[in-house]
Amino acid sequence: MSATVAAPTELAIHRGGARRMGFFTDTTTCIGCKACEVACKQWNDLPADGSQFKKGGSYDHTGELSASTWRHVRFVELLEPSPPLQQEALGALRASSGALPAIPAAGELRGSSGALPAIPAAGELPDLIAMAEDVGSKWVFMSDVCKHCTNAGCLDACPTGALIRTEYETVVLQADVCNGCGYCVPACPFGVVDRDPIDGRAGKCTLCYDRLEDGLEPACAKACPTDSIQFGPYEELVAQAERRVGELHRRGLDGAYLYGAGDEPEHELAGGLGAFFLLTEAPERYGLPAEADSPVQENLFAATAAALGAGLLAAAAAALTFAISRRGRGIA
Amino acid sequence: MPDGGELPDGGELPDGGELPDGNSLASSPGGERRGECESPLGLPVEAPEPEPSEEPPSSTAGRDESWTADHDSATRDDTPALGTRGGPASWRRAIEGRAVALARPAWGDAGWSYLFGRDTNYAAVEPDPGEVEAASLRMRSETTPEPVHGPVIHAPVWTWEVPLYFWFGGVASGASFAALAADIAGDHASARVARKVSMAAVLPAPVLLIADLGRPGRFLNMLRIFKPRSPMNVGAWCLTAFSGAGAGAVAADLVGAPRTGRALGAAQALLGSYLGSYTGVLLATTAVPVWARSRVFLGPIFICTATATGAAATRLTLAAAGQAEDHPTHVALSRIEAGAILAELTLSALNERRLGRAGEALAHGTPGRLSRAAKTLVGGGLVLPLIARGRARRPAQNLASVLYLAGGLAFRLAWVEAGKASAHDDEAVALMARAKLTPDESLRVGTEQRAVSEDRPPLADSGPLHAVREWSATIGRASLFVERLISRVR
Repeated sequence: MSATVAAPTELAIHRGGARRMGFFTDTTTCIGCKACEVACKQWNDLPADGSQFKKGGSYDHTGELSASTWRHVRFVELLEPSPPLQQEALGALRASSGALPAIPAAGELRGSSGALPAIPAAGELPDLIAMAEDVGSKWVFMSDVCKHCTNAGCLDACPTGALIRTEYETVVLQADVCNGCGYCVPACPFGVVDRDPIDGRAGKCTLCYDRLEDGLEPACAKACPTDSIQFGPYEELVAQAERRVGELHRRGLDGAYLYGAGDEPEHELAGGLGAFFLLTEAPERYGLPAEADSPVQENLFAATAAALGAGLLAAAAAALTFAISRRGRGIA
Repeated sequence: MPDGGELPDGGELPDGGELPDGNSLASSPGGERRGECESPLGLPVEAPEPEPSEEPPSSTAGRDESWTADHDSATRDDTPALGTRGGPASWRRAIEGRAVALARPAWGDAGWSYLFGRDTNYAAVEPDPGEVEAASLRMRSETTPEPVHGPVIHAPVWTWEVPLYFWFGGVASGASFAALAADIAGDHASARVARKVSMAAVLPAPVLLIADLGRPGRFLNMLRIFKPRSPMNVGAWCLTAFSGAGAGAVAADLVGAPRTGRALGAAQALLGSYLGSYTGVLLATTAVPVWARSRVFLGPIFICTATATGAAATRLTLAAAGQAEDHPTHVALSRIEAGAILAELTLSALNERRLGRAGEALAHGTPGRLSRAAKTLVGGGLVLPLIARGRARRPAQNLASVLYLAGGLAFRLAWVEAGKASAHDDEAVALMARAKLTPDESLRVGTEQRAVSEDRPPLADSGPLHAVREWSATIGRASLFVERLISRVR
């Protein structure tokens, strides 16, 4: 697997010895605390998103990645518990007159003998965890971010050269060059980059290029309390992630897979993602496309050939119509 | 929070409100408790009635409105932490040349955490060969698409300026075709008029393009580099060259240099074959389903509209100048109008047939209405000259040209609006990604061969490349200068 790949015609920063750096976001350890969002906003001096719920049916204040939100923890609610089952759970709770045993405070946990207090025998309590599992309701979180694609649609589309490839093979927007044309917005197959309605420029994750230059890891990875976001050299991250998939498969979580790394070349997402993910549900659950590539590289040749051919044909047809009309009238 | 992270003595909250008991943090800002807590754990036995304002909305309707309401400049404080807004941030290292605090060689501060201890078995199992690839392929191709939790992609941010630019650019390139054809046929007087029409139509184009920019002052950056891969960049260069050739041709006509005028007019028409069609390429090279899946049709459809509207504008101008109705140029232009519109309608019908699920964006809502209005307008334009007899023929022909121009504008608006609707159609985006959107997904081709970055030749700092770099730097500086100038004038 070649890890440091990029199109040969890109605008890029060159530096000898630089390696591809990336994010590995392991959704199985994400707790949805949004510390990464806050750390990102603080470091990159980005405005807040307001305190309204943005996304239909979800307790999510952020809604989506945007020009002012470069990390977004997606809340993915799966299979809401059905009302009858909810009633059953509440009924069981009432039957026990709500008298759950008090959970000992940390200091009281060990008695004078040093032994743990006796755990109530099974059967005395409704097994709430088992009930929740029966209901099948799950809440999964995914800290979404710019994928830093190998075939980056935004980078291909950018007409000003504001978007460039750095020596770490990441995609960075030069804020002093961007004129806000908005072409990168629909050119991103992952819905990452956006144009800020107030500022006028596009904005997206830089993989903390400024921190990397100074030897610091990106702010979101630094802040992540469960290391759901891991930062490091791309090859090392991929190897780590593959072992994590192996471990989860061994534990019976067969749905665990890597999104954006470790694929055969013909199945790679946008040529391989610099920021890749470990997911446990179908990608659509997280608002991710199952397959993606730079739309510019996919469509440019065919579309241009058809357009230019039709353009020349139209000019020729116009000339031909004039010639025919003239001859038909017999006017010299 | 001051250093140390402690609350002030007395444990008072910053707003002065005290904590009456441990549970009040869960209470609403008004201090009222929600639901009754009867169990010792504080678990509500009765399901509490949630405050309406704290419930998430049940649908995404109106989300965009609340989003923009949240993001207006009056409520959002965008004062930067460093420097002034729009200006460069100023920052100085505490000790020049020294690494910042916490920096470790090779990002040692990112060292693996407790997750990777020997006792956690976080990533302990080496997967079987092919296991990781197979798992990814299974989840990404074999499982049926679940309900899509969008948004998957962002909708284009372009407003009315862009479709209006498409229309003006189309009229300009169509008129340049008419000028070239008239020149070849020997009617140089009509060709001169057509070149003026083309020039007049292209004049608003840069104004519209600049108005659509998020940072209009930096419009010069469009010509900062030459990037064949970006249709917008090539389009900007093409528009510049087209306008230059057009202005030169009109000037040559005016000063009486007919051969120069004709030569520049021919160059203009050649550039026009791209100017009128690249706008289709611009839309096709995006992740928006209805645009991307129309990729081989968009350019041809757009050039047909361009040819028809350009011919219509030229014919109307010639008619206003008093050209006879049975003049061969007049006849030829009416035939071009009708022929181009017929080709447009045929291509659109073919495309809509094969678009399948992606075509819904063009059929419903605002784009659907615009598209139907466009077809009605141009349909009326096709029928009118056929049914008009005698003295009604001339006004009918002129009205038909007006209908073509209006229909062409409606087509442009419909296509741009359809792109926005299509991008919001999360299911269509997901289906396109799974190659299940249109019946002819085999049109999808692989991307180019990639090169290892270490193999990329470093840019030489001398010779022609040096000049290219100087050009980029100069244009970049000029852009910032213009922007500052504009903000100072304001």
